[in-house]
Amino acid sequence: MTRFERSSLLLMLPSALVVAIFGLYPVLESVRLSFYRSILTLPWLGTKRVGWENYADLWNDPVAAQSLQVTLVFLVATIPAELVVGLGLALAMNRSFRGRGWLRAAVLVPWAIPTVVCSQMWRFIFNDRYGLLNFLLFGADVRSYWVPLAEPGPALAAVAVAEIWKTAPFAALILLAGLQTIPDELYEAAAIDGATAWQKFRHITLPMLKPAFLLALLFRTIDGLRVFDLVFVMTQGGPADATNVLSFYGYKKTFAEGSIGYGSAVAVIVFALAMLLALGYLGALRRARGGAR
Amino acid sequence: MKDHQAIPLGAAPLLFLLVSVPAGGGEARAASVLHFVGWKSEAPRVWDEAIAEFERRNGVRVVREVGPSSSTQFHDLLAQKLKNRDRSLDVFLMDVIWPAEFASAGWALPLDRFFDRAAQDEFLEAPLEAGRYGGRIYGVPLFIDAGVLYYRADLLAKYRLEPPRTWTHLVEQARTIVARERDASLAGYSGQFKQYEGLVCNMMEFIFANGGALWDQARLRSAVDGPRAVEAVRFVRDRIIHGIAHRGVLAYEEPESLTLFVQGRAVFHRNWPYAWAVANDLSQSRIAGRVGMIPLPGFTPGSGAGALGGWHLAISRFSRNPDLAWRFVAFMTGEEIQRRIALSTGRAMTRKALYRDGELLRRMPQLESLREVFEGAIPRPATPVYAPLSSILQRYFSAVLARPEIDLRRRADFAGREMNRVLDLLRREPER
Repeated sequence: MTRFERSSLLLMLPSALVVAIFGLYPVLESVRLSFYRSILTLPWLGTKRVGWENYADLWNDPVAAQSLQVTLVFLVATIPAELVVGLGLALAMNRSFRGRGWLRAAVLVPWAIPTVVCSQMWRFIFNDRYGLLNFLLFGADVRSYWVPLAEPGPALAAVAVAEIWKTAPFAALILLAGLQTIPDELYEAAAIDGATAWQKFRHITLPMLKPAFLLALLFRTIDGLRVFDLVFVMTQGGPADATNVLSFYGYKKTFAEGSIGYGSAVAVIVFALAMLLALGYLGALRRARGGAR
Repeated sequence: MKDHQAIPLGAAPLLFLLVSVPAGGGEARAASVLHFVGWKSEAPRVWDEAIAEFERRNGVRVVREVGPSSSTQFHDLLAQKLKNRDRSLDVFLMDVIWPAEFASAGWALPLDRFFDRAAQDEFLEAPLEAGRYGGRIYGVPLFIDAGVLYYRADLLAKYRLEPPRTWTHLVEQARTIVARERDASLAGYSGQFKQYEGLVCNMMEFIFANGGALWDQARLRSAVDGPRAVEAVRFVRDRIIHGIAHRGVLAYEEPESLTLFVQGRAVFHRNWPYAWAVANDLSQSRIAGRVGMIPLPGFTPGSGAGALGGWHLAISRFSRNPDLAWRFVAFMTGEEIQRRIALSTGRAMTRKALYRDGELLRRMPQLESLREVFEGAIPRPATPVYAPLSSILQRYFSAVLARPEIDLRRRADFAGREMNRVLDLLRREPER
């Protein structure tokens, strides 16, 4: 081992330790707990190893199945919108014009607000009596006021809107970084060949952005799969379980009902899903990077 | 050279970790500090004053943590702290439905050695009973609640209607008044039907009034799939929610539903006794002085009853200072503080003597009728598996109310099966 390698390892040690303590340990502990049956409020039943029983129960649990469906609908509804809005913001931020600094700062605001605060804000916006939404839609016509959070479909849509607002700036940041790696020469050459703005966008910007898109997709999918705070503040999973995403279901099982093993099994499934998707994206990302070179 | 400079920088996070871990307070200081977890009171000033007085008299400091006001969310906060044997928790507010759970989990301290029979006798029976589990007592009642019906006395008088004694009657009256008032922003009914604990209370009141039950505690079998219970749920879905109620009720907890009523936009309103003071407060209510309060209707006259609610003060089993904690509990549930809290918040007291107190009765005339309501209130059955049972019920009620196209009968059977699975846990023998 050279001196350089040794000092590099030493330098990585602190971060590796932090990852091990705060990342690896909780995951392994959740996996371990998911093989036990332990109900906090029934301590006399003890903590018993039950093998795959929690997973078998989970497989047959219609509430979990519905919860998975809600989570997937939520992902499909939010991620494309986040990427499209993010791309628009990134393109705007990438141009040079007066006030660009202000725009960049403003775009980051939603992302910088703590999620709980932002959830509370959207809960107010969607409130039927004093919410901004009803005021914008109907003005002073109180009779027409609508209560989106009281209806299953609209409640999920409301949570999705809050998520898009909150995270599109993040997608924008990654896409902006991607935009800035595209060499100007490509656009100049295209201009000489007489390409229109649309052709430049379609044949240069989009293909060159593919790795950045995949990266944004990766981060957003993992985050979207784990969405919790918005649901916790805005709807508590209701009405009719329409916003009962997997993470919230696992939380209820663990902390409200005290079923530590079962709740851990839900958490492990969320983790496994995120892991699988992440590996898929990383593979695609590697191919895209290879292709771009 | 560069390497040597960088090493301490890279180790900085690690150092931070090491330094921050042993930062717990010294044992000596802990004796004079008491940690209390509650939610935000309607009259924070009275609480502040009472706690300051306790601090002065005992020469201690009370550190307060304010949790969410939703009972469901407050439960989860406490459960996390107690599960982790959090030492920074001595006294906490406990909903009347939790003692069984907190006792059997070993989270709440049995109070029998402080709280003897003679002292217990000074409290109303119903809330006291709710604090007992397995022959021991785990909480001292602080407030008592029971569901009651509020109505617009002015509107009923205008159409020469008597306050309703049955739900059918209430629905007819609401229809008549809303139709004749020609005010499209006026709804017939406002209650709490969001997917949370309050939904269980609201629905239980209808089910009991119809002769049904949520589950049979003796046989450990679900009852929510019984014919009387299903019939009551169908009535709520068709006649209340999709009949006379404001369309927002499926998203409402207590505060939102009360706002609707005090803005004059509902004829009838189901809530707890504290709403009386708010509805009659000119600074918060447009209908002050035009409100009536009666026991909840039944399906036949007299069959109605309110869900028993309320809060206890309890002590954590992991408290380092149970004696001081008990002094705090005794002080806060004492006559003097109860009187002050009742006068400023309209919340009902738990001490029998206060219901004979001339001054209190003069300033809160509603107490007279409330005592009867409290004595007839229906408790939610005490069980250590209350939380999972309540989750199943919340899911079932919310589903059938929010999605009227769902087959009610089948959904009720499904909820019943799920509840039976949870109740079966209680039949199991301890395993080694």
